Amino acid sequence: MQRFLATAVMCLLPVTAQATALEEAPWAPRAAAYRLTLFLGNLDPMPWVKLEHSWAVPVAGSARSVSAISKMTEAEVNAITLALEEQDRHALFIAATDVVENGILHSLAVASERLGTADAAEHVARAQALYRAFVDGIQAGDPAGFRRLGRAWLTLNSAVGSAGLSQSGAPEPDREAFAAARTVIETYLRDNFTAGDIAPRAKLTSLPETIVQTGVQVDVPVSLPPGSDIADQREFPRLVLQFEEAGLDEADMPLVAYGDMLFDSPQIFGGPARDLGISCSTCHNRSDVNRDFFIPGLSSHAGGMDVDGSFFNPMFNDRTDDHLDTPSLRGIRFTGPYGRDGREASLRDFTRNVIVTEFAGEEPTPFQLDALLAYMRQFDFLPNPQIDRAGRLTALVSDAAKRGETLFNTPFEGLNGRACASCHTPDLNFRNGQAYDIGSSVAPFEGGTVTQFDTPTLRNINFTAPYMHDGSISTLDLVVDWFNDSKSLNLSTDERADLTAYLKAIGDGEDPYQVFEGRESTFRLAFDELTTFASTLNTLIPMQDAENIALLVDTVAPDLAADASVMVNQTAKPDVYLLSAHLRAVGDASAAGNWDDAAAAWDMFKTLQSEINEGMY
Amino acid sequence: MFSRRTLLASFTALAFSAAGAYAKETLKIAFIPQENPEKLLGDIDVITKWMGEQLGVPVQGFVTFDHAAAVEALRNGDADVSFMGALPFVLAEAQMGAEALVSEVYRGYPSYAGRVFVRKDSGIETLADLKGRDIAFADPVSESGYLYPLDLFVEDGLFTGTQGAVDFFGNSFFAGGYQQAMQAMANGLVDAAGASQYADMLLSPEQQTEIKVIGESVQIPSHAIIARPDLAANMKAKFTDMMLTLNAPENRHLLAYLYGPDGYVVADTAAYDGVREMALKYGLLE
Repeated sequence: MQRFLATAVMCLLPVTAQATALEEAPWAPRAAAYRLTLFLGNLDPMPWVKLEHSWAVPVAGSARSVSAISKMTEAEVNAITLALEEQDRHALFIAATDVVENGILHSLAVASERLGTADAAEHVARAQALYRAFVDGIQAGDPAGFRRLGRAWLTLNSAVGSAGLSQSGAPEPDREAFAAARTVIETYLRDNFTAGDIAPRAKLTSLPETIVQTGVQVDVPVSLPPGSDIADQREFPRLVLQFEEAGLDEADMPLVAYGDMLFDSPQIFGGPARDLGISCSTCHNRSDVNRDFFIPGLSSHAGGMDVDGSFFNPMFNDRTDDHLDTPSLRGIRFTGPYGRDGREASLRDFTRNVIVTEFAGEEPTPFQLDALLAYMRQFDFLPNPQIDRAGRLTALVSDAAKRGETLFNTPFEGLNGRACASCHTPDLNFRNGQAYDIGSSVAPFEGGTVTQFDTPTLRNINFTAPYMHDGSISTLDLVVDWFNDSKSLNLSTDERADLTAYLKAIGDGEDPYQVFEGRESTFRLAFDELTTFASTLNTLIPMQDAENIALLVDTVAPDLAADASVMVNQTAKPDVYLLSAHLRAVGDASAAGNWDDAAAAWDMFKTLQSEINEGMY
Repeated sequence: MFSRRTLLASFTALAFSAAGAYAKETLKIAFIPQENPEKLLGDIDVITKWMGEQLGVPVQGFVTFDHAAAVEALRNGDADVSFMGALPFVLAEAQMGAEALVSEVYRGYPSYAGRVFVRKDSGIETLADLKGRDIAFADPVSESGYLYPLDLFVEDGLFTGTQGAVDFFGNSFFAGGYQQAMQAMANGLVDAAGASQYADMLLSPEQQTEIKVIGESVQIPSHAIIARPDLAANMKAKFTDMMLTLNAPENRHLLAYLYGPDGYVVADTAAYDGVREMALKYGLLE
């Protein structure tokens, strides 16, 4: 039906590497809690409080805003509670599995009792929604079982009839078929998901127990838990590239274009990041921040996460739940040193650190780092006519902001005789390249040295909330209050308002978000970007650089095809698939050393791109 | 930290919470669940508040399990108006005199199509190739997810009537919804799926590249908002006028809270003649 156009696209499968991550279908509350238990239960150390919340509090990604425990029996609640109290991982897994299995069996029993009534179909749907909690483990570990159960669910849904409009000739229930299909499902669940028969597991998954017992190594595709949001940013930041504003075309700048591609490529990462399709731009979208990015267990709030935990790179696990707010990369060439704690003076070193250390990627080549830096060094701030080149206010600002500017430049005893401007230096883009302990962190042990944090730029901060290294303060007003209180600035209410007005004036920017209208769609933007990335083949094919061509093709070809799913002009999807296939052909030919074929396929790509360009929206 | 008391207290409180009752004076609207009920629930709060302000009476929205349940709600007075597909509407019209007030518009037209989808690697090129193969439809009371795709086979002379379908296909399933039908096809559980022309968007992008369309139906009237027959005439008129104001530029942002159509037009009852004929043809209407 047409309303699908407006609804979230959904997917039963685990997330696979893709540019356009789909919004997952909502989860049944108990299924959501189970899936969260699997994810959180595999973190090291296990976040027990978050595990408790996943059962006691409605999960953001669940279909209804009710907790799992509201759908559970008292015995089930007791089992979960006991496991949480005793911090017993296996007991929690057993209890969680039991909740889902019980729920499926119960709903099927009710549906069976009520066949011929309108309730029956609803209970089958409930059972199937819970089954979804198990399905990717079954699909990965037991394809034949997955198929057998899938057919059984089809049979159940068909046999349940359509009671609501039965007087109009809709089908009556088929009790025999229903019972047979129910038996298939119940038998499988009892053989594989009955709590008492499940042995302790090194990794919590929904793999069927009979498969686990065989000892065969099965890789369940990595997936994120309910409530995750990694690529569904509602407001697209405007990207300001210096060369573009100056009228140059990225397609004429191969190193920049290749760096832009790498910035969007999960291929440079390893482990779960790569499998999930996470790239630099997933968090630093369009040089700014994906403010909707959230992974339960890793993020304390949207727009950041703990990057040094056990999930992305166990080697880099600091065993501390220390969420970091994702910094904007606007104007990054002017904002060194890098890292919230300013630990790297070199953007090149920091970029390598993100790829290899944080996200388990292979060592990038010098060429790849050159390209990434060439691209990132083009990131500029959003223009702000309220400040001049020296960071002074212009005539466009309010009187309150002007009063605030005076306060900003006033030394305070509570700041050790410094002014705000001493560190957020206006003619240094409101930062000074130094790191300080401003009291926003605690020492790792009594008597230890507190982590110092780099002075962040204040340019464009109107669009970078929340604030502080951990995103712990939600608004600029509250940041001013925090400094006023913690540093005993003794500012009056009016003075704090003036200081905030000043921050908002210097932190402003023109046209902060991309506007999509008509054919200027999100797909058009992606199409232009991806074809620009591909344009580096004009350089790479003559150089016979098979390695970088492979990386480009592995990034751009699947992205093109994936992005077609969000086209407004759905009739043109086959054209995009064909374009993607031409790119694949370039990759295949170059990998085989058939450079004439690679060049021919690239020519076909360019010809087709030109022919279909009009309909790409 | 958590405790047994915390969890049990939450459990007990939820177990004994009572559902709120609707005031008699309210206009009650049944919404059909879409693929993201959570979004729908949030949307309902926004749009019913706006509707209440426009109509001058409280508006209460609730989500039914499916179209059949919405028809039942209209029949027993639990709902005054309901969002409704074309086929269940003509059935409700015949059974209880339900009346279509407005129809949704998408991409400039108040209509869409049903399609038959297969996997590209299946070797299936035509509808005839599906003889002896398995197909999943969405729901027996669905126009684009059953009757119209089914009719493509009949119009091609491959069989007649629903009984003919039983003999033609290896197995014919009702999967329980568009998404389930499409996933069953994409995952290889069945060979084909009969669903809305937009149902491919319920697959992952990767899956979307792996499927193709081998049949498309004639246009089907889009979803409507229908009223129970004994709803006061002035309320029907006010409701209709209110829905049409959503087409105004200043109100168009509200369409996102209503399944996201381009707008609404006054329902043209004659436009549903084709659906009535289809329902007659397959024995859903007498």
